[in-house]
Amino acid sequence: MNNLPEDCIAKILSLTSPRDVCRSSAVSRCFRSAADSDHVWNHFLPSEFPEDFRAPEGLPTKKHLFFSLVHNPLLLHGSQLSFSLERSTGNKCYMMAARALNITWGHDQRYWQWISLPDARFKEVAALKMVWWLDITGKINISLLSDNTLYAAYLVFRWNLDPYGFRQPVEASLVLAGTEHDDVQPSMVSLMQNPGSEQGQRAELRSDDWYEVQLGHFFKRRGDMGEIEMSLKETKRPFEKKGLIVHGIEIRPVLP
Amino acid sequence: MSEADMAIIKPEMMMKSYIWLETTDGSIQQVEQEIAMYCPMICHEVLQKGLGAGSSKNCAISLPQRVNPAMLSLILDYCRFHQVPGRSNKERKVHDEKFIRMDTKRLCELASAADSLQLKPLVDLSSRALARIIEGKTPEEIREIFHLPDDLTEEEKLEPLKNLMDDPRIRLLNRLYAKKRKELKEREKLKGKEVEERVDERSVDDLLSFINGKDHKVVKTSKSKKKNKKRKEHKNKVSHNLHSKQQGVQIVDETASSLGGVSNLPSMEDDIFSLKTDSEDGYVDDGMDPVLKEMLDREVEDFARRLNSSWVLSSGQERQPVHFSINGNGATRRLTAFQVMLGSLILLMVFGWQVPEFCGVTVKGNSRVRISGLTGTEGEDEWFDLSYLILNEASDPPKYDNVPADREELVGDVLSFTLLFPFELQLCISELELTLRGHKPLYAHIIELREL
Repeated sequence: MNNLPEDCIAKILSLTSPRDVCRSSAVSRCFRSAADSDHVWNHFLPSEFPEDFRAPEGLPTKKHLFFSLVHNPLLLHGSQLSFSLERSTGNKCYMMAARALNITWGHDQRYWQWISLPDARFKEVAALKMVWWLDITGKINISLLSDNTLYAAYLVFRWNLDPYGFRQPVEASLVLAGTEHDDVQPSMVSLMQNPGSEQGQRAELRSDDWYEVQLGHFFKRRGDMGEIEMSLKETKRPFEKKGLIVHGIEIRPVLP
Repeated sequence: MSEADMAIIKPEMMMKSYIWLETTDGSIQQVEQEIAMYCPMICHEVLQKGLGAGSSKNCAISLPQRVNPAMLSLILDYCRFHQVPGRSNKERKVHDEKFIRMDTKRLCELASAADSLQLKPLVDLSSRALARIIEGKTPEEIREIFHLPDDLTEEEKLEPLKNLMDDPRIRLLNRLYAKKRKELKEREKLKGKEVEERVDERSVDDLLSFINGKDHKVVKTSKSKKKNKKRKEHKNKVSHNLHSKQQGVQIVDETASSLGGVSNLPSMEDDIFSLKTDSEDGYVDDGMDPVLKEMLDREVEDFARRLNSSWVLSSGQERQPVHFSINGNGATRRLTAFQVMLGSLILLMVFGWQVPEFCGVTVKGNSRVRISGLTGTEGEDEWFDLSYLILNEASDPPKYDNVPADREELVGDVLSFTLLFPFELQLCISELELTLRGHKPLYAHIIELREL
């Protein structure tokens, strides 16, 4: 191995994973310079970036760019879409702001309020005052995502002091482009972590102190096009819902 | 075909053209032309030098240095198989899988030789095989397998992490901080101070010394308790974690100066200085390193004793909510720690990958931080007694192979191996307690705690 030229080592490393490359940089000097080379990290960066992506300035190497994108989501699309990379593979992750979602009655001050929270990624989050017809939908173009990856969509939310009406599961669905809405059976998800509600997906607490519940998953193949529609609804029960704070919908790869 | 035809064809078929190849050790062999020409480098040579090249022993084509005779014969076997056009993809794949099975050393040589001959398919094949070998191995293992020299300095090994710790939660926590601070102040007023003088003082002293560029004035709350000198038990584990004296003091200097540069601090610092009253008798103000070391030893050991020792070691940490097995210290300690917090200690906490929820100050560089807090469980929250948690730049990386194979943290993995915590963190004090929620930090010695 000593005799291999650096670019050979770089080529070998680019066939491993970002984690292995990081470890390799602590093996020996020649491994380090291969592991830190742009050739390797370029391989882990996405081959295609979203249209209005601008690499942050001041990053000396591709490795820095990679980790900057992993740790610091970039805001695109007028600050309504955050873009980052999943660190073990370099796959693209997105989060749509609440403002970018279609929230029925969201424009009406009586039902939803738009507030700013210090630990939110976006300028505004949607705070539910009271509503009977809960219908939150988001759409994203599938071509923004990384090929050959299994993705899942999550509603990111939390509660205010006094939530009401969410003890029962609500409907969540994820519809791919070209599928008729009628063909898709929504799944029931529980937003609250009641021990009793066993059916379907449950909300989990994230590391950033918000909750998330999975709305659905899909596999993105090369060349897939069109929009995915993800939604959360509760329109069947005749009582009001209160106290939900919606951060957005996050779409990220499912890790094995 | 009639026999006559066969008779005619055979002699023609016998007249294959050969190319003569010479390896660096001087040995020359002849190879069928079509096989040799499968290698772009040889092909290039032949075409470049004209028809005569390689046609006889005297003008053999010299091969690059990295191609030794054994490799050459391997490569030629490869070419011999693949240059036959009639083979199916499946056949080729099966052949390749078998072909590539060899020991690592030969695999490296093969990759090297194939690369110098520019035989891309073989380069890809051998590279992939080598990549599979490298995947999932620790640096030590990789060094062993490939007989690589361990020629990086400790510092260099730690370096890759420095630039990678830029947790987005930091920014979020910055914002949270302001809010939490307000809440804390209110609660303070409500609670009414049950001040444990010692604690306050100590913390102030710590703070001062910290600010003054010397650390270790950490005369901890443990002074009030009789400590068991279980030094030996934990000394081995933790003493090696103490960084070299020089660097230790240096770090503090760094941090102190970076503290100075942090905004929002001036008012706090005034508070701190005004709080300083009696000085400790045991206050060593000259940065004597052996003393420092000893004190730290004791602190760390005490910490290790009081908390899970695995916390200190950091290796093999599972990702789980930080959970400490300390019981029953809840009530009284809570107030103490609360006062400690309010007693304006510096909270600088470095957790490499996961950021626990503390509010505090932004610190740059490597630092020694001390934290004291609470522990116990109440309701859903877990909170921790963090006394004698010492943050330090570790000098002795834990063995990597203690890390379970399914760890997901990317940089975390490297961190657990290298131990340096580059950081720029703000930590929030949540409510009254210091809650350490989320994931266990890989390696953390927190020396000082200060609430702003």
